[in-house]
This record gives sequence, C-alpha cells and structure tokens, in this order.
Amino acid sequence: MSSVDLLLPLLVAVPMLLSTVPIALGLRFDRTGWSVAALTTTALVAATTTLANVVYTDGVVTHKLGGWSPAYGIELVLDEFSALIAVLVAVTAAGVLAYTRVGGPRGNTFYSGYLLLTGGLLGISVTGDVFNLFVFLEIVGLATYAMIASGDGPESAVAALKYLILGTVGASMYLIGVGLIFMATGTLNMGVLAEVLPAAVERDPTLVRAGFAFVFVGFSMKVAQWPLHTWQPDAYQHAPDGVTPVIAALVSTAYAYAFGRLLYSVFGPEFLTSTPYLTELVVTVGCVSVVAGSALAVIQTDVKRMFAFSSVSQFGLIVAAYGLVTESAFIGATIHLVGHAVIKAGLFAAAGLIAINYDARTVDEYAGLADEHPIVAGTMALLLVSLIGIPPSAGFVGKWYIALGAVEAQLWPVAVVILFSTLLTLAYSARLLEKMYFTPATPLEAPHVSESVATDGGENEDDAETAAGADAANDGDAGARGGTDTAALEAITANRDRNTVSYGMLALVVATALLAISLGFAGGFLADLLDPSFITEVFN
Amino acid sequence: MSESILPLAAVLTSAVAVVLIVASYRRPNIREGWSVLAALTQFGIVFSMLPGVLDGTVYKWSLQQSLGVEFLAGIDFVLRADLLGMLFALLASFLWIFTSFYATGYMRGLDEHDQTRFFAAFAASLSSAVGIAFAGNLVTIFVFYELLSLVTYPLVAHDGDREARIAGRKYIAYTFFGGGVILLAGTVMVYWLTSQTGTATTAFESGGIGALAEGAATDPTAAQITFYLLITGFAVKAAVMPLHSWLADAMVAPTPVSGLLHAVAVVKSGAFGIARVILEVYGPETIRDLPLSVPGIGEVGLNVPLAILAAFTLTAASIIALRKDHLKRRLAYSTTAQLSYIVLGLSMLHPYAILGALFHIPAHAFAKLTLFFCAGSVHVETHTDYISDMAGIGKRMPLTMSAFTIGAAGMAGMPLIAGFVSKFYMLLGAGYVGGEYWLFAAALLLSGVLNIAYFWPVVYTAFFESEDRHDAKPLLEFPAGGIRQFVGDELATDGGNRDEEPELNSDDDSGAGADSDADSEADYEFAVDQYPSDADVPGGPGGSSAEGDADSGVKTGTETAGTGHDHGHAVAHDDQHEHHGGPPAGGWTRHSPLTESTWLMLGPIVVIATGAVVLGVIPGHAAFLDLATEIVTSVFDANSLEQLRGPLSAALEVSTQ
Repeated sequence: MSSVDLLLPLLVAVPMLLSTVPIALGLRFDRTGWSVAALTTTALVAATTTLANVVYTDGVVTHKLGGWSPAYGIELVLDEFSALIAVLVAVTAAGVLAYTRVGGPRGNTFYSGYLLLTGGLLGISVTGDVFNLFVFLEIVGLATYAMIASGDGPESAVAALKYLILGTVGASMYLIGVGLIFMATGTLNMGVLAEVLPAAVERDPTLVRAGFAFVFVGFSMKVAQWPLHTWQPDAYQHAPDGVTPVIAALVSTAYAYAFGRLLYSVFGPEFLTSTPYLTELVVTVGCVSVVAGSALAVIQTDVKRMFAFSSVSQFGLIVAAYGLVTESAFIGATIHLVGHAVIKAGLFAAAGLIAINYDARTVDEYAGLADEHPIVAGTMALLLVSLIGIPPSAGFVGKWYIALGAVEAQLWPVAVVILFSTLLTLAYSARLLEKMYFTPATPLEAPHVSESVATDGGENEDDAETAAGADAANDGDAGARGGTDTAALEAITANRDRNTVSYGMLALVVATALLAISLGFAGGFLADLLDPSFITEVFN
Repeated sequence: MSESILPLAAVLTSAVAVVLIVASYRRPNIREGWSVLAALTQFGIVFSMLPGVLDGTVYKWSLQQSLGVEFLAGIDFVLRADLLGMLFALLASFLWIFTSFYATGYMRGLDEHDQTRFFAAFAASLSSAVGIAFAGNLVTIFVFYELLSLVTYPLVAHDGDREARIAGRKYIAYTFFGGGVILLAGTVMVYWLTSQTGTATTAFESGGIGALAEGAATDPTAAQITFYLLITGFAVKAAVMPLHSWLADAMVAPTPVSGLLHAVAVVKSGAFGIARVILEVYGPETIRDLPLSVPGIGEVGLNVPLAILAAFTLTAASIIALRKDHLKRRLAYSTTAQLSYIVLGLSMLHPYAILGALFHIPAHAFAKLTLFFCAGSVHVETHTDYISDMAGIGKRMPLTMSAFTIGAAGMAGMPLIAGFVSKFYMLLGAGYVGGEYWLFAAALLLSGVLNIAYFWPVVYTAFFESEDRHDAKPLLEFPAGGIRQFVGDELATDGGNRDEEPELNSDDDSGAGADSDADSEADYEFAVDQYPSDADVPGGPGGSSAEGDADSGVKTGTETAGTGHDHGHAVAHDDQHEHHGGPPAGGWTRHSPLTESTWLMLGPIVVIATGAVVLGVIPGHAAFLDLATEIVTSVFDANSLEQLRGPLSAALEVSTQ
C-alpha cells in the first residue's frame, strides 16, 4: 500500500478542481451542479474510508507535497485523529446533498461553492502545516460566506458580511499567532514544531505564549465561543436551509478539530499544563460558553437560531474538554465533535424540512407538529434526545468521557458545569418537544402555506411554482408541494409524490437520527480508534 | 453465572411491543392485544427464570460477549437477572398484565385522545423498568433510568393542557436533574474511585464492589460524596423529601399511569436503585466503615442522615396527605410516605430492616395499585375525584370501595394484609439495632396511625355517610369533631342569599349537579379557599387566580352579604370544568358489585386486592419473601436469616467469617 498516500493530496485537490466544473458546464446545461457534487462527494467518501481503513490498521499516512522536506515544504498527514474528521466531512457532505437536491439552493454556482467548501474542510483535516492550515481556514471561510449569502433576502447578506468580517478577524488572529511561533521556532510543520517548541519555550517563553494567545483567540472566534460567537447565530439562521446543516455540522467542527490539533499535536500537553493559567483560561472560556450558549438558546423564538446557540454551548463542552488535558477528556472531545456534527446536521436538516414545507420557523409554530407529521417530529425528538445526552446516544458517549476527564483532572467546578449542561440542554430541547407533542396547533396557524416554496432559496427558474399548494392541502397529507417547472420535475420523477418533502430529505434526517442513536453503542469502539496509538503518542 | 439471552428478551419484549402498538394504531383491539400479549410474554420470561435465580443461578447477557461491542471504554452493557433484579422485574411484569387490561377499560371509558401514544409509552416504560431491574452495572442502570424518565414524560403530559404541560416540565426537570446530572456524577465518581486502586468498574457485586471498598479506604471523603450523589440521584424518583413534589403533580396523568408507574415502576425504580447502591455498590460494611464526623455530635454512620430524611419524609408526607381532598393527590402523598418506608428500612442497614424494606416493594405495590385502580374506576364511572364528593359512594361502587378498604388497610400495616409483614420486619430490625434507632421505629408506628387517619375518612364516608348528610372533608380543615353538613334544598348553610340560589345553579355547568350538589360544593369551596392547602382544587394552577377571585368574592360575600358572594361562586364554578363529580341528582344509585363498572377494570382490581391479601396471609408462599430473604442472606453472606439476629455488628461479623 505504498501509493495510498497519493490519495491525500487528491482529497483536497479533486473537489477544488471539480468545483469549476459546474460553472463551466453551466454555460451549456442548467442543472449539472448536483450531479457533479454527488459524484465527487461519493468518491471522497470512498477515498476517506479507504484511507481511514489504512490508518486504523497500519498507522499514520503522510504525504510530502512535491517531495519537499517537511522542514520547508507542506506535509499532509492523516492520523487516527484526523481520519475520523475526514470521514465525517466526506460522509456529511455527501449526505446533505440528499437534502439539497430538492430542498436546497440549486444553482450551479452553489455547487461550486459546495465543492470548494468540502475541499477546504478536507484540507483542514489532513494538513500537517500551520500556515497551510491558515490557507484552508480562509478557503473554508470564503466558501461559507458565499453559501450563506446565497439565501434570499437582505438578512442573508448581512449575516454573510458579519461572518466575513468576524471570520477574517479570527483567521488573522490565528495568522499572527502562527507568525509569532514561526519567529520563535523557524518552522511551520506541525511535527517539527512539536519537537522544537519545548526548546523555544525555554529560550523565550513570552513569544510562544503570545503566539498561543493569538491562536486561542482566533479559534475562539472561529469556533464561536462566547463572547466571540456573535457571527454564528445570524449565519446559521439566515443561511439557506440546505446550507445550514453543512455549515453547522462541519465548519465549526473542522475549526474545533484544528484547534485541538494545535493544542495537542503542536503545543503538546506539557506546554498546556506548565504554562500558568493556560488550562484554566481554556476551561473557563469553554464553561462560560456552555452556560451562556444554553441560556441564550432558551430565550430564542426562532428554531434555527436556537440550535445555533446550542452549538455555542456544545462547542463550549469541547473546548472545556481540551482544557482538561486528560486522556478521557480528549477522547470525549473527539467523540463529541463527531456526535455533535451528526446530531446538528440532522436537526438543521429537519428544521429546514419543516420550514420549507410547513412554513414553521419559530418554536410557537411547531405546536401540534407531531400530529400532522409524525415521522419528522419523531426524528427530531430522537435527535433532541441525543443532544440532551440521554443514553444510548452519541451525545451521551461524548459527555461521559468529558465528565470522566473532568473528574480525573479533579477540577470539580468544571465537572459540575459539564454535568449540569444536561439540564441546560434539556431546557431548550424540552421546550421544542413540548410544543411539538403536547401543544395543540392553534387553528389560526394553517400548516399549509403555499408561499413556503419561496423560502427554498431556489434560483429564478424555480419561482413560478407557488400554485400547487392547494391540491396538497386537499390531500391532507404533508405540506405544500410547490409544483416545479418541467426541468425540476424530471429531476425528481423517480419519487413523484405530491410533496416537496423528497425521500432524500426524509432519508437524511432519519439516517442522522439512527446514526446518532447507534453511535451511542460505539463508545468503546470510538475510544479504541484513538486510544492505543494517538493518545499514548500525545500523552505518553 | 450463566450466559442467557432471557434478561435481554424480557427487556426487548415490551420494546418490540412498542413498535407493534404504533404499527396497529388503526385497530384499537389489536393494539391493546399487543399490550396484553407483551405483558404476558414478559412475565412468562421473567417467571421462567425465577426457579433458577432462587437456586442461585444468575442469568447474564452482555453486549460485549454476545456482539463484541464495547459500550464505553472499560464498561460493558450487562443485563443480569439476579435475586434483587428478579424481585423488581417479577413485580413490575406481573402487575403490568392486569394494568394493561385496566388501562384499556380506563382509556376507553373516558374516550381519551392519543391512545396509541399512551399504550406505546406505557410499554416502553415497562421495558425500561425491567431494564433497570436487570441492569448489571451502574452505567446500564443509568441508561435505563434515563430512558424511563424519557418515556414516562409523554404519559405525564398526556392531557396536553396547560396543567399537564407544567406537570410534565416539572417532572422532566426533576427526573433529569436526578438522573442525567446527579446519578451520572455518582457513576463517574465510582468509575474514577475504583480506577484509583485497580481496574475501573461499576459492576454490581452482592455485598459491595470490592474495588470501591479499597478506593473508599484511600479517599473516604470522595467515597462519601459519591454515596450521597448516587443516593440523591435515585432518591429523586423515590420521591424522598425535599425532592418529592413532582410526584403529586404527576397525578394529572391518567390513572393507570399513576397506578403502575407512579406507585410501582417509576418510583420503585428509585427505591430499587437505592437498594442496589446500599447492598451491591457500597455494601453495608463499607457504609459502616465510612462514618461522617459531624461537628458537635461526633461520628455518625453514613446511612443515618438518609434514615433521618426518610423518617422525616414518611411522617411529613402522611401529615400532608391528611389535608388533601383530591383522592389521587392523597394517594400520591401516601406513596411518598410509603416509599420512604423502603428507604428507611434499607438505610437502617440491619438485615431484618433490609428484609422488611425489600418485601415492602411488592407489598406496597399491590396495595397501592389497588387504591389507584379504585380511584380511577370511581373517576371513570362517576367523574368524582374529590373525597368530599364521595359520601355514600359505597352504594354506587360496592366492590371497588371494598377493595379500596383492603388496600387502605394494607397501607396502614394491618395484619393479614401485605403491609403488615414488611413493617413487622422493619420494626424488628430497628429493635435489634436499638439505641437511637427506636426513633425510626417510632416514626414507622406513628406513620401507621396517620395512614389510618387519612384513609379511614375515605372508607367511612363511602360506606357510612350519605350524600345529603356527611362531615365536611378533609377533616383536618375543620374544627375538631367535624362540621356536619345538612344539605337540602331549603337550607343554605353558607348563609347565602336564598334569592340567588337559582343563579348559582345555572352557573354550575356540570349538568349532573342538582341544588344539593351545588350547595355542598359551594361549602366545600369555601372551606378550602379559606385554608388553601390544595393548590389544584379548582382545576389546577390555571385556576389559582380564579381561586383567589373566588376567595375574595366569598369574603366580600360574607362581609357585605351582597352580590360579591354570588360572583365568587360563579367564578369558581366556571373554572371548574374538571370538577364536576359528586353524586347525581337524587343521590347515588345502588349497584351490585357485578354492574358497577366494566369487567376490564373490576377484574384487575379484584386480582390485585387479592394479591395484597395473599402477600399478607401467606407471604412465604408468594415468591417475594423468599427472594427478599435470599437477597439479605447473600448480602450478609449468611446461611440463614436466623444467623443474622442480633445487633448490626454481629450481623456483619457473620459475613466476615
């Protein structure tokens, strides 16, 4: 398997190169973006799983770009930690396409952005170079801005602008930090940095610590930790419904992964524990985000915004776990990264599905949803239950290891916050559950609003399609299926039901819910992926 | 120890039933058929393990050994049918058979909405309860404990009105605080403590986890905190004060839920968890070796604060029950008190007290389920919920109220009914320990008296009073000796203006209410408003403001004797769509035991009441006492119960021999 490492640069290069294809083909054909994206992401799923298989059986896969020595050139590395994230990125990117085919933004340019984003995210996962990481951060950032801005209405543009400014500030902070570290060490390669940093710390601790401070603030902004989270709720809320699942599931996750990579593979546990007040700071930022994010989530009226604040809180758990510097906490953080991504992808997809078809966007409009749409409501309930961390579910497994890490570190206040986060999560989740199941819909809120079709952020060609709502209402079935023009109809003739809820959308939501539950039984398996090799190498 | 899929099968039976119930939502008869079938199958599976378990076999199913899946690093997902688990599983699955018939009768009698969700959640609750019973380590029990909280939430919030939603919120907040926060914290701590001295484990061991005893020796403070975390986590469901108030509110749920879940499966899962912690996580010996040093008093056993709390709960809850007029709420406070019997017995640590406590799990279950079934049956047949409306109801429902009498006697611990046996052993245990433990014995005895004080008025008013001539209830609200109500068309005991009486009746929208009815309600309203102890009297929290209105209205009425009086009553009655019980015009019609209700409800009542008597008369032949005895002797490592007589230290000596 000597040539398997060649797949590594392809993981990044292929989606980026192919992202030009939808535009090019768009000159002649209307709808090729989805097919190109689907083919590419499917190939990426195959490639990442192949690579992950090699990583978990034979060990780390590395590739030196252009044959340059790591000291000067860029190295791509897939180890036990990043393989998990790479697979997650590829699978989620492929899965969400099932949603966007009917429900999401449909233009060719959108899929160009989508592929660019996927390439950037995979780049973050596999890069072994701190400056190269900055490049990928920017690529992901730019692709995300474009995708958020593709929503209709001025709010999307404002949200994208806000994200553009704050996201760039965050990335710049990171770049300054990288600069300082480069000053201290003279290298940008992560592996080499890990070796030379201890000596650099002895020579000039202030420089390295300042570098760390910039990196930390930069990532706090990117990961959306309180009080630097302000871009995130707007971005998640106003992004097109088909985009939010990808952004929520992958973008912050990839940033948080990069942060963890820097903390543990570059700076290393010894630097973290020996620097005064460092872990305390990280843990405090995480814990405050847990509490503040949940508190803000409880008072939201918009469902997507509520989930956005929930992400602030959940990533707070992960950052706090990073700061605990114990093996269990690190395993917990990794599992929670994956688990949270799956759950949030499902939740945002479900929220988008409900918003598009039933025009319910606020918590109050969810009243009585369970009676009308038992499958969607039930799936959403399952996902919320996983988010709360009721076993067996992905949310519980992550929380178990993080709580265990807090107890092992004997940081009791942190342990208390982590355990109480269950109740905090419950506060907003239960609000939604109660609305869906135990609050009768008020007769004024007609569930079938044909106008809803306009909210799909579709390109112009889809807009002449509002009329068909009425016959779906006669059907008494699920929401208004906006009729589509002939081209769109051909695209979905396979499942020609009178309903904009495509089987793909439902399948995605149901699949994430099932995955979230089954990950609940994989606690030992996931820990084993990291435990013997990566953990001992880091924590030795 | 033998590998077996039976424990898993018992858990999965009702989980599969959930799917089948949901799938056959269009056909109610088939749907309820699945409930009954699952109950029978589950009981059959559990019962098939009974002989083996009594002989000392432990049936074990492990996720890792059977499927190779590790649940969490170092922690297996284990279902294990051992003695203690059998006690609870046998009880829950046996009672579920009759409850599923009863629930059918109840839900159809009231023509309830969302019956599919109800029966599905009910089956899921039983699955979780049996899972709790068979859980082989703290993590597994935590999983099912959380699932139980989750699946019982739809049952509590079933009505979907404001009151039910608020009760549901309170329920879910309490139970997840207890489970997801406190119990998880305790579980993590146990894992950490055991990892300090050896292999990390949370698996139950009869007599206590060995590694934990070592961990406790090195870090006693952490071990003590862990003990209280675990106990608190389970005590929330066991409704030990001050964490009890969800239980009374949860009575908004349909009666089968209040009966099987909030008197047996859910609350007993808390008591059962405490039993696991005391007997199989820490073990009596470790608990004894970890005394708390309290400033000013000296060393106090780790168990003593818990025992004091339980003794307080059982006394205080009984006193609160005296003041409740809503029958199900009175029963709820009775449940709170009775569960603390179990907690008290366990926390006294003496083998005999533990034996009594363990036997009280089934004893209370049979008696209290009878009581709830009767309350529900009365509700379905006559829509009467308040004791003050029940005068003479013995004529209408003779069999139901007779069964109620049996259940009440069991609660009070009368000989020949189940409750007596368990209380006898608990008193025996307190006596063997001696010293200050006499106080606990005194609390048990006092509570018995209070039980009579709050149940006897119900029985008395049902059989020995009549609709138009009875004492005002609840007795405690009125001057000693009671106020005799002369209720007739002409008499207005509230001093009301006779001219306004017709108007008052028109405000009473119950339809069933005649003059006398409305009038007695008016009086009763006055009494409760003046001493508001039932927050829910005019129909729950939603009515509290209206209640205030009524109150002020009544006050102005009595002071100025004007229209204010009438206004007050009008508001109270308008708000009382729920409270339209009481005898119909002309009093209760006399029914024979065979015609008072449907067999779907009467059958279960008769069977469960008979069970309560059987447990009281021949406890030695009804499996539960055998199980409890075996548990105690295995925990204390003794050959027979006789060896364990004497003080606690002597009983612990037996285990070290």
